[in-house]
Amino acid sequence: MKVDTEFLSALKLGGEFDARLCINCGTCTALCPLGVELMPRRLFRYALLGHREGVLGEAETIFSCLLCRLCEANCPAGIHIAENVRTLRTVVNRDVYGLAEA
Amino acid sequence: MTGRRLGVVVCQCGGNISDYVDTEKVRSEIAKEGDVVASQVQMFACSDAAQQSVIQEIREKKLDGVVVCSCSPKLHTATFRAMAQRAGLNPYEYTQVNIREQCSWAHTHDRAAATEKALKLARAGVAKTALSVPLERMRVETLPQALVVGAGVAGLRAALALSDLGISVHLIERAAEAGGQVARWGTLFPNDKVGRELVDGLIDEVRRRENVNLYLSTELVEKTGRLGEFAVTLRTRTGDTIGLKVGAIVVATGFDPYSPKEGEFGFGLEGVITLPELKELVAEHPGRLEYHGRPVRSIAYIYCVGSRDGADTPGGHTYCSRYCCSATSHLATVVSGLDPTVHQFHLFRDVRTYGKYETLYERALRGGSVYLRYGEEARPTVTREEGGLVVRVKDRLMRSEEVEMRPDLVVLVTGMVPRENDALVRALKLPIGQDGFFHEVHVKLRPVETVVDGVYIVGAAQGPKNVAESVSSALAAVSKTGGLLLKGYVDLDPLVAKVDPTLCVWCDECTKACPYGAVAPVDYGDRRIAEVNGVLCKGEGACVPVCPKQAISVQGYSNEQIHAMIDALAAEAT
Repeated sequence: MKVDTEFLSALKLGGEFDARLCINCGTCTALCPLGVELMPRRLFRYALLGHREGVLGEAETIFSCLLCRLCEANCPAGIHIAENVRTLRTVVNRDVYGLAEA
Repeated sequence: MTGRRLGVVVCQCGGNISDYVDTEKVRSEIAKEGDVVASQVQMFACSDAAQQSVIQEIREKKLDGVVVCSCSPKLHTATFRAMAQRAGLNPYEYTQVNIREQCSWAHTHDRAAATEKALKLARAGVAKTALSVPLERMRVETLPQALVVGAGVAGLRAALALSDLGISVHLIERAAEAGGQVARWGTLFPNDKVGRELVDGLIDEVRRRENVNLYLSTELVEKTGRLGEFAVTLRTRTGDTIGLKVGAIVVATGFDPYSPKEGEFGFGLEGVITLPELKELVAEHPGRLEYHGRPVRSIAYIYCVGSRDGADTPGGHTYCSRYCCSATSHLATVVSGLDPTVHQFHLFRDVRTYGKYETLYERALRGGSVYLRYGEEARPTVTREEGGLVVRVKDRLMRSEEVEMRPDLVVLVTGMVPRENDALVRALKLPIGQDGFFHEVHVKLRPVETVVDGVYIVGAAQGPKNVAESVSSALAAVSKTGGLLLKGYVDLDPLVAKVDPTLCVWCDECTKACPYGAVAPVDYGDRRIAEVNGVLCKGEGACVPVCPKQAISVQGYSNEQIHAMIDALAAEAT
């Protein structure tokens, strides 16, 4: 995995992207009703480290999330997981699907 | 049998002793000794309740000597002497027998042998105590003056606090400027105070005090005398010497930042710097962070450089340097405060932003820092490829997936190492611990005292500390110094050599054997005999075996007592 600081800057992960507080306990992965292995902790880690392929290559996974917040309700670090997924959807819309930001 | 009435306490040390020594057997066997009229087993002999019970027994059974079989005499001799005194005994008719360090801890594989050894040592202790005589402590005067060595934050703070107590202070500093390491750093955790301003405030106050003398470019080269009245010799840069008399010495010589070896995590490559260097860089460029004229867009910090080495690392430092996790997390918040778009990656082993400093870690995270944990067995590598630095690390949170990054700056988070202070160590005869820092008497209970009475160690000279901890230990030493000097006198142990004037023929052998210069001749009637200066004597006994007339012995360790102990130890061999 290569850290791409340009991509990282372009992600514009502001203060509201709070996945830095993740302690990687895996509660979210265990609870995910879709059983998506990547979601959300590895995906967020890829984003935080500016791993371009790790984020953009997972466009379908990012959109498969139901935003049910089962993970968020049980996150011991209190991370706003669904909001973080929305942030990444904006990035994918822009960089993969070529949609302008609203 | 001597007709004495002795009591013996056998301590279990909460299992530390009783797990490997049959304490009840030791008690029941020692109770059979002729002079022993009372015996008991205690779970913790040093506890208040146990001491109270022993005091009661001393009074009820009219004991005239007590033996406690417990830990090293270094730990609790003073405790039990005080207990004996409270019970009305002379404190020097108390004997401590070490059945923990010398029995239970040393022979964990063999309970029977450990028990047998404990019993023998206990018998020797009883034999020694049966021949004990009451001794009185010696009172000597103390001077209300102190020497503080090192004018960093700990030494400056100690000097001011001593001055507050009315103790005159001679504050010496080897460097040309006061302030130490803290003066070179910018904002410090936790309250963003600038290091230079912090020490300037102290230096300014020191210069205002009439009873504090600050000597710059000055070293301590010699110390003689005793607690309460040391004679010290200072040497200035020009080679002049200054002689002073002081009652106590506070050593605040600080630390050196660890200097990485060439090639250690890429040290020596362009763009690889240490934590103190980054702190100076940030302090010197209060605007945007630049390195060699180029803006810094991303930083990789590598933690635990020169700290927490494995025990098998040659010349390694096995301790944690304590301040670096908090200092680095704090510095990251300062850097992101200057420019929030700088990317900061922290390659750590464990984040130890302990206590109140934990909030620094969260502040760093919220400020955009990303923390990656690496294992000791898979350390990050730093190389320079195609004109840029490349750091590779296996991220433990990602199943050790390798992460490769190209930061503008690699910061090695270096710890604290002991200072090179050979001349000072020789002058003060201070013991050095295995880690290379000055060694305290007791890690928990006497953290600023040394085996040299009247000499205290404070700040990072004793071990890694942050500023607040250094100042706390400085103030602890100040209170010890105040307790020692403000009374005007101190009572010393009477366990020193004494000459029997009827036997001494003044052959001069004891004078030659004494390393402290404590023996000198005096007139005794129409002849000369040796006399011991009890304040200079350390009671270490080099004079005893060289005396051809057996005229000199150490009080509390008389020849008769030592012979009786040997007889007791060897009783079963005969």
